[in-house]
Amino acid sequence: MPLGSEVLRLDRVGKRYPMGDVIVDALVDASFTLNEGEAVAILGPSGSGKSTLMHLLGFLDSPSSGEILFEGRPVAVLTESQRARIRAEKIGFVFQAFNLLPRLSVRANVALPLAYHGSPPADAADRVSRALELVGMTNRAHHKPGELSGGQRQRVAIARALVNEPRILLADEPTGNLDTKTAAAILDLFKELNRLGRTIVVVTHSPEIAANFRRQLHVRDGRVTEGGSA
Amino acid sequence: MNRLFSGVGNGFAEIWGHKLRSLLTVSCVMLGVASMVLTTGFMEGFFKNWEDSLQDQGGVEKIFVTAQGVKERQEPFAAVSPGLTLADARALRALVPQIGVISPEIDAARPRLARKGKTFEGRRGARVMGVTNAILEINRYEVATGRAFSELDLADDSEVILIGSKIRETLFAPGEEPLGAFIDFNNRPFRVIGVLRKYERLWGDYNTLDWKNEICFVPVTTMATKIQRSDRLSFLNFKAVDISLLREAVDAGANVLAQQHRGIIDFSVRTNEEQLASFASTKASFVIGGSAIAGVSLLVSGIGIMNLMLASINERVREIGIRKAVGATPFNIFSQFVAEAVTLSLLGGTAGVAVAVGLIKVLATTLPPGSTPLLSPSAFVVGFFFSVAAGVMAGIYPAIQAAKLDPIEALRYE
Ligand SMILES: Nc1ncnc2c1ncn2[C@@H]1O[C@H](COP(=O)(O)OP(=O)(O)OP(=O)(O)O)[C@@H](O)[C@H]1O
Ligand SMILES: [Mg+2]
Repeated sequence: MPLGSEVLRLDRVGKRYPMGDVIVDALVDASFTLNEGEAVAILGPSGSGKSTLMHLLGFLDSPSSGEILFEGRPVAVLTESQRARIRAEKIGFVFQAFNLLPRLSVRANVALPLAYHGSPPADAADRVSRALELVGMTNRAHHKPGELSGGQRQRVAIARALVNEPRILLADEPTGNLDTKTAAAILDLFKELNRLGRTIVVVTHSPEIAANFRRQLHVRDGRVTEGGSA
Repeated sequence: MNRLFSGVGNGFAEIWGHKLRSLLTVSCVMLGVASMVLTTGFMEGFFKNWEDSLQDQGGVEKIFVTAQGVKERQEPFAAVSPGLTLADARALRALVPQIGVISPEIDAARPRLARKGKTFEGRRGARVMGVTNAILEINRYEVATGRAFSELDLADDSEVILIGSKIRETLFAPGEEPLGAFIDFNNRPFRVIGVLRKYERLWGDYNTLDWKNEICFVPVTTMATKIQRSDRLSFLNFKAVDISLLREAVDAGANVLAQQHRGIIDFSVRTNEEQLASFASTKASFVIGGSAIAGVSLLVSGIGIMNLMLASINERVREIGIRKAVGATPFNIFSQFVAEAVTLSLLGGTAGVAVAVGLIKVLATTLPPGSTPLLSPSAFVVGFFFSVAAGVMAGIYPAIQAAKLDPIEALRYE
């Protein structure tokens, strides 16, 4: 896939949560295109719809209106299995809430996406080790998530998103729980990955972090606007 | 293949992760299989016992001819019939090729057995029958020591006697040699030429085969000429050469007898078929009843598994969401749940079979021989197959439910 070609496109995408009498419009008419090799920061106040938008980008949720296209194909027409396949092989997702499996060790958590890869790489074990090394969690490989600090869990979640070497990395506040030094290291990792051609979308509250990304999207009350430097 | 394997691996991890839940599931299947195997085992034991006693009465190929009163319209002519005699046995032998063994039998009216002042009382008194060696074959008697009758014994109306084990125990002291000794049968001395095997099938304390031990045989000819003083037979039993020739043998036999008796039907010809039919119908109803019991127990175990699987899904909704989010397809999730169900069912099934075998072994030593359950391979196969099937079926429904969940919906689940 050549650099600059279209990866994801949103066409007037909306997400509406009917909550009894109240209707929450978490996302309204979001339209933008994400190209191969881009590095994007998503900014916005709490509750503005950033996570909602990320879930839609990772096919974890379906829009209430509008259309999402992946490599030019509408996601809605893909089968559940096809979407799972793309998630497994092309998209790495870092959840705001980490979402690690509590009963599995750190290593097993990181290895999880490899089990669902269509053609699991022969060097699966090495890849897990490398991913753990990238986030500096090698010494905690055999711990359970419950035995880790918030920041450590966050790093495990990042390692899991990287283990399949996905072309697209979607990270929902990946540095929220990290100290400045570790956050900087993770940011450097993302920048390096982007330099190698990966598409990266990162949600952040911090304008300083956002400043590291060439493109910024602002979300306010569910509306997405393009912004230069914050 | 690899996907299935990862499902199986996850299944194992999950089983280990929830030891109590897995134990309960395994117990459900185990109880289902064990009760199935035990129920079937008891049924098979019961029918085996019954079938054996049918065989002891001569088996299915046996045909019974007994003297009986003539019909009213034949009464004026009844006297022209010579009745059931030894001549009938010879005629049947000569004229009906479908007949194998023929056993003419005279039951002594009021036999008295005595020796050196001892008499035999027994439960129903002694029974002495005039027979040929055919009765040994038809009614399954074995001569334990000594010999059966010879041609000469029958031809010479010899005063020789074969005695049952109970008779020997009563009339002879332990260790005393009965062979060659004389015992009085209706005040005539008869020389003992053989002792019959001791038959035993206990029903509690009661030996259901005691009647076979309280019997004596003398040559039918001796009985006719010296004791009864007529060659009227009490019974004339014969066997068809083969079970497939049973009907033909019955019909041909009845025709020959009618001819012999000058058309007077003063005899009846019966077979074991009725008993066999009642055996078959009882067995059928027991099999249905037993299967229903076994089926219900399997169903209960299936519901148990299903319940545990559903509970585990609710508990694991978030996990399903996470797995789907990192790329698990519905099939991956599905196969994980099925693998789990299959593993637990197989474990439970194996444990159930082991428990059933153990119980049957223990029961075999504690229960009286007549009522012990049998180890039936078919019950194992059926029980095992059904338990695993029930487990898998029970696993499939929750597996489909689990596979259908939307990842983000599952992840929002609290
Ligand atoms: N399942 C849901 N049902 C109803 N409303 C929801 C649901 N999920 C999100 N919302 C609402 O949608 C809006 C956007 O939520 P979202 O999680 O996208 O915000 P966010 O920008 O990620 O906030 P934060 O920075 O705090 O993570 C919020 O008002 C939230 O209450
Ligand atoms: Mg959020």
